[in-house]
Amino acid sequence: MPKYVVTATNVTLNGADISSACASATLELTSTDVDVTDFGSGGWTEVIGGLKSGTVSLDFHNDYGVGAINTLLNPLLGSIATVTLRPNGTATSSTNPLWTATVLVNSVSPISGAVGDLATFSVSYPTSGPVTSATA
Amino acid sequence: MASIAEIRDGIATNLSTISGLRTTTTIPDNPQPPVAVIQPSSISYDRAFQRGLDEYNFVVTVIVGRASERQAQRLLDLYCAGSGSSSVKTAIESNRTLTGVIQDLRVTAMRNYGTITLGEVIYLAAEFDLVVYTQ
Repeated sequence: MPKYVVTATNVTLNGADISSACASATLELTSTDVDVTDFGSGGWTEVIGGLKSGTVSLDFHNDYGVGAINTLLNPLLGSIATVTLRPNGTATSSTNPLWTATVLVNSVSPISGAVGDLATFSVSYPTSGPVTSATA
Repeated sequence: MASIAEIRDGIATNLSTISGLRTTTTIPDNPQPPVAVIQPSSISYDRAFQRGLDEYNFVVTVIVGRASERQAQRLLDLYCAGSGSSSVKTAIESNRTLTGVIQDLRVTAMRNYGTITLGEVIYLAAEFDLVVYTQ
């Protein structure tokens, strides 16, 4: 896939397509650094990868309609939910991989916004367990 | 996704709640004031993924009469008010989804209260900025 402009990221929450309520999506995966520096390191620090973790960050346009983002997300507070992300549309392929993460919904923002602004809110959830990607 | 024509018609319908105010979609050469001219000014596409939200900006130019008419200024003052039966803001926001055509709208500002020249006639007018969110 060539370089592209982000317009069609596909985001689902527990199977519900929430893409049209979402303005930004980020999946960040990290690994801790484990220091293994010793006398044989030649004066440099040495590290190896430790435990992996991830964060799913999403910016939403708020909507209280039936089946809309507010009614989907708020009841999940304190629960584990499944989030999937594809970079460009709903068809999974080698150039549009499907990332699946189990996240802890540890915060919600039922009310957010200043006078005159579009009602938006942002969340950032830690992943729980492995984050997988699929190309088919 | 709502069309520009549908949005404009909806705004016109809301403005029709102001007694005596006509609406049109193009600036007339020979306006019959008081008249509100509804025109799109800009569109910001892709405010959400997968065409989930576009942001339209409209300008409603309200022309009330020849600048020399004292009554015209009084009338324009009423149209510019933030509330009341002649308030353009109140009328346009009286049905903020345009009966389900859009997600939401808001009249954000009044500007350029003053004269405009159409043909060889100087009219008194004011412009109202609208932001429209549509899916």
